[in-house]
Amino acid sequence: MTRVKVLLAVAALAMAIGLWFALTAPTDALQGDFTRIINIHAPSMWLAFLAFGVTALGSAMWLIRKHNRWDRLAEASAELGVMFTAIGLFTGMVWGKAVWGRAWDWGDARLATSAVMFFVYVGYLALRAATPDPIERARRSAILGVIAVIQVPLVYFSVNLFRTLHQTQSIRPDGATMPQEMAIAILVNVIAYTILYVALLVARIDVAKAEERVANEDALAGDTVKPPRLSEVKDV
Amino acid sequence: MDRLIDLSQIGVSLGGMPVLRGIDLSLGPGDSLGVTGPNGVGKTTLLRVLATLLAPAIGSGSVLGAGLGTPAVYDVRSRIGLLSHRPSVIPELTLEENLRHAAALVGASYEKVAKALRVVGLDDVAARRGEVSSFGMLRRAEVARLLITAPRVLLLDEPFTSLDVEAQELIGALVTRTTSDGGAVVMVSHEAGQLASHTSRLLSMSLGHLEQQP
Amino acid sequence: MSFWSQAIEIARVDLRVERRLGDTMRIVLPFAVVALLIFPLTLGVDLTAVSRLGPAVFWALGILFGMQVALRQAAHDDRERRDLYALLGVDPAARFAGRTISGAVLMTGFLAVLLVAMIVLYSPRLPDGWLGPVVLSSVLVAIGLTELGTLAGEVTAGLNNRTALASLIVAPLALPLVIGASQTLEALARDASILPWVLVLVATDLALAVAGVGLARPLEEASR
Repeated sequence: MTRVKVLLAVAALAMAIGLWFALTAPTDALQGDFTRIINIHAPSMWLAFLAFGVTALGSAMWLIRKHNRWDRLAEASAELGVMFTAIGLFTGMVWGKAVWGRAWDWGDARLATSAVMFFVYVGYLALRAATPDPIERARRSAILGVIAVIQVPLVYFSVNLFRTLHQTQSIRPDGATMPQEMAIAILVNVIAYTILYVALLVARIDVAKAEERVANEDALAGDTVKPPRLSEVKDV
Repeated sequence: MDRLIDLSQIGVSLGGMPVLRGIDLSLGPGDSLGVTGPNGVGKTTLLRVLATLLAPAIGSGSVLGAGLGTPAVYDVRSRIGLLSHRPSVIPELTLEENLRHAAALVGASYEKVAKALRVVGLDDVAARRGEVSSFGMLRRAEVARLLITAPRVLLLDEPFTSLDVEAQELIGALVTRTTSDGGAVVMVSHEAGQLASHTSRLLSMSLGHLEQQP
Repeated sequence: MSFWSQAIEIARVDLRVERRLGDTMRIVLPFAVVALLIFPLTLGVDLTAVSRLGPAVFWALGILFGMQVALRQAAHDDRERRDLYALLGVDPAARFAGRTISGAVLMTGFLAVLLVAMIVLYSPRLPDGWLGPVVLSSVLVAIGLTELGTLAGEVTAGLNNRTALASLIVAPLALPLVIGASQTLEALARDASILPWVLVLVATDLALAVAGVGLARPLEEASR
């Protein structure tokens, strides 16, 4: 647990620094303080994509190597990916509602892709939860993990094409017009969130290892069924 | 009520096919009957008729005084116990939760649940969910449930299949308790030898009929 | 144990099983939200039309996916489970009532989350004072759909393709619920009385409750 504590401490420090940058960076003239949400939204979305990429890597490696460590990595990263996507989507919706009066922008391909990704990995986790046998669970979720990573870029391109054909505008600002200080604040927060992701990933993998240990001990439960007390049957 | 089970010329069809024909059967308090026969001959169907879960198409009969196929069966069902071929345990609940659920529905106390778990040897694994319990553990849990509900008519379908000696002895003790408390037991198995040591009378089933064991 | 005690005990265990399995909240609900996401993309309409369609899409998807919530318990009901309850002396009518209680609780939660998702994704223009009538109609739809699902599950017990068959049975019979719920909001938007539509929902729920309790024993016999 020591390395987890160290990582979490570093992450906490990095997040504190990121928060300071977020609160002191200049804001957009029109959006005001609402701009600061981007320091949570952008890093969360970045981490979501990273996390799902790691899940895909873990899935592929499990299919090749069949070692538990890759399944643990894939699972832990998928859980974090779902969490970060949820944060990213939520902050994006708060931002959109506050600034533009609409929580959801159907013209934003990245937003739609992120939402689809969220549900793909919710399905991934549901599949894992529904499969009791550990080897079967690893195999099925590894296959889904690989399929998902192939499919997500296709989702992005098809939604982007939809946006083009229906001439809706993306209402989210791109980086091109962003002041340098704002961009630096975002970058610092991306780094801070990445450290947080690594810390949580290591912690979650440690929990998974502990769960496996407990499950293996449970497997010997035939020994804990005691002989029946036949003379007491009539007394129940 | 003299006879606990009284069947006269019972016939049952399933899916349009006759399964039981001309079944005559009578059991009183303390009686135990073994029914043997090959697979598919209708033994399970007979048990389900005795459990009042299947109404006969032909003939008449009563279990615990309730006419088969009449609404009166709803009043006696809680006094009938059935150990089916496949364990009937809610897999998402723990063994203890399964028993507490049954106890709550029949109005038995949770102390009885704890006692029953101890008697069947499951007290250390009571927190294990049904879906990750072995067949033997599930069977013991069902025996515990029958100890709690204390049925007057006990029906057992291939009860010794896949069980170790201790679990078999437990079922034997359950049978003995039921008959000595004035109940009746009907046990079916394709192995006559197992039945002979646990029942006082043996019949064989063939082509839907009951016959004396040769 | 009394009728209502049995019903509540069955509902309690049902909800505990659902908490562990997570069928409704982990599988059906995300599926329904994905459908909410997909719908505007397949229609290719402008944002104004999407806003207008929001409540209608909510009720349509709520009913269609809600059926899966209503039918999920039937999927777990094998012969051994039904025999177990019968031989524990559980009145089939109490089992129907218990299933309705647990299903209605789950379905109400399901509809509540789906409603929030619809509001976020579609930004509908909702009339003033919409919350109370929508909550009321959601609860009534939840009760009615659960009753229908439980009945359909009993009618199709032990049959092949049971889940698909039960869905086919429930869908058209759920029409009064769809109409009553969607028109409640429409009436509110027009400043008209919502009472007739609420009464449609209440009447449907009552009729199904009477049918469920009254037919519980014959249904149980038919399923053997």
